[in-house]
Amino acid sequence: MKFRAKIVDGACLNHFTRVNNMIAKLAKTCTLRISPDKLNFILSDKVANGGVSMWCELEQENFFSEFQMEGVSAQNNEIYLELTSENLSRALKTAQNARSLKIKLTNKHFPCLTVSIELLSLSSSNRIVTHDIPVKVIPRKLWKDLQEPTVPEADVSIYLPVLKTMKSVVEKMKNISNHLIIEANLNGELNLKIETELVCITTHFKDLGNPPLASENTSQDRNSEQMAEVQIDIRKLLQFLAGQQVNPTKATCNIVSNKIVHFDLLHEDASLQYFIPALS
Amino acid sequence: ADMLKCGMSGSQVKVFGKAVQALSRISDELWLDPSEKGLALRSVNSCRSAYGCVLFSSVFFQHYQWSTSVKMNDSDEISNLNCKLGMKSILPIFRCLNSLERNVEKCKIFTRSDKCKVVIQFFCRHGIKRIHNVCFQESQPLQVIFEKKMCTNMLVIQPRVLAEAIVLFTSSQEEVTLAVTPLNVCIKSSNEESMDLTSSVYSEMFVGPEEFDFFQVGVDTEITFCFKELKGILTFSEATRAPISIHFDLPGKPMALSIDDMLLEANFILATLADEPSRASSPQSLCLSQKRKRSNLIHSSSKADKNVTSKAPEYISRQAVPKSFYSNETPSNISALDNCGSPLAKRTNGDISEVPESSVSDTEEMPGSPYLRKFSCMFFGAVSSDQREHFNHPFDSLATASDSEEYGSSSTF
Repeated sequence: MKFRAKIVDGACLNHFTRVNNMIAKLAKTCTLRISPDKLNFILSDKVANGGVSMWCELEQENFFSEFQMEGVSAQNNEIYLELTSENLSRALKTAQNARSLKIKLTNKHFPCLTVSIELLSLSSSNRIVTHDIPVKVIPRKLWKDLQEPTVPEADVSIYLPVLKTMKSVVEKMKNISNHLIIEANLNGELNLKIETELVCITTHFKDLGNPPLASENTSQDRNSEQMAEVQIDIRKLLQFLAGQQVNPTKATCNIVSNKIVHFDLLHEDASLQYFIPALS
Repeated sequence: ADMLKCGMSGSQVKVFGKAVQALSRISDELWLDPSEKGLALRSVNSCRSAYGCVLFSSVFFQHYQWSTSVKMNDSDEISNLNCKLGMKSILPIFRCLNSLERNVEKCKIFTRSDKCKVVIQFFCRHGIKRIHNVCFQESQPLQVIFEKKMCTNMLVIQPRVLAEAIVLFTSSQEEVTLAVTPLNVCIKSSNEESMDLTSSVYSEMFVGPEEFDFFQVGVDTEITFCFKELKGILTFSEATRAPISIHFDLPGKPMALSIDDMLLEANFILATLADEPSRASSPQSLCLSQKRKRSNLIHSSSKADKNVTSKAPEYISRQAVPKSFYSNETPSNISALDNCGSPLAKRTNGDISEVPESSVSDTEEMPGSPYLRKFSCMFFGAVSSDQREHFNHPFDSLATASDSEEYGSSSTF
């Protein structure tokens, strides 16, 4: 297995750093999948995650000036690594104002992702910073659990409001209840609701717009006022929103009534899908 | 009675406060040690593996006066204030340094040895006056015996470069290693053998010689020392904006980080890990071994004074007085603005309160544990009246205390 990649463009480096900061906020441990064209950060929907799953995809040529990889075998030309996300984002944080950044898969008594940074310094010499981040290679037999999740057939698809606003609303609601209902309709309306014995709070977002639905049938049958709702753990929603430091280029929410809510975001060149299951 | 009186401006208070903060990373206790040359703040950690001293020269202050009742001719008399303060008392006074710098017009510090109290007065804007009365415990200060000029390696670096190196490491990083060759310098994480290496990130940064203001490497060396203490020194250096000199030798010998500008001189001496073939480390064994090693050095040392070798030297018995020895009496003259710090120690008419080594109880004995990674020990000596001459060579000699004959109970190793 081999992997080496290099970033020389400052804007690409900043973007890659931002993506990693986001991943670090969304998942403590995640899987990094390396394939010839893409990098994926994956969180599979295990019980340990509370059923939350995540799929983040980057086209490697949008970030790296050099990219070489050799997977486990010719038929399975992929590498799956498990790593602590914060280690990578922290290493990238030291790469501000770097002239170049290289990432390699190395074996230093155990597998590591080695990040080598050439820093600009005031004097003529370069400063070289190296971080060896320990990783675990995920064996082939576990790959099936780490595939791209199928996008469910949504009852309602709606564009999200400004995420910062959503986050501050959800943050206040968290103090009142752990259960939040997220509901939306095809009329561009989205509501966040919490209910306790004493109080019921709803925040209404209007005029959000709905993306065109994939299937024609559902849009014809469905009353545009009718809400599709899912009750979820509010902390999972908050963790998702906290990871979005920058407002995405595009943000869609897909609701499968009483089953799952699916967030589909586009941050410039990186796409993120995040699934939160309904509370049972 | 010996008496200290000095005054500072708001911006001087900020530098003074930064020194206190840096020393608080080393220990929970601080010696206030005035002399004619100036006011020294000293601190030693309980493991005896780190020592800090910031000496503010008399010209640093707006006014400075140290008057002692002891005549200069009595060379056996030590005229020290013998003032030890708890960091818990003094650190909160110098907490918000930026606001102190803005609001304080004048700060006066004065103290008298017979009253065992330090008074810190802040004269602030709008006519506000704040007074802190901090009780001190009588304790003779220690100083490290270390000849930094004898070190084969010396680097002088701007604080900014060091700051950029420090961000590489997480705050949980215990130790870092500095590796030098004539071609470059590398600072890297140092991981203990017992740690789970598969979970921690290893980081290193190479810096070329051109980034140093002064670069002298006599011998290729790798020294490992405590990261937390380095961070404390760095914060202080950023306040003074003066370059940091790093003096070091082979592993096991102490290293010195110094800041020297015309108004103050700061020295932080840190022990470094000695090389040993096999390793089995734990924090307790480090402290313990240090005491053992120190005892060996005492017996075999040729430098040690005759009065001293037969008993454990001063630095062993100059321990923190255990809490059980503290009296519960409160000072008689408490004003409404009093902020009394550490409890009053038993007055012993200027003599040092003798207490056997108490910290052994803090470090658990591990019988038969192979302490193979050892922090080097450092020679400590009491700060004596001879220090007047020694201000130019503060780390030259093993100073003798005049009352060494009172050291009956030596510590047990």
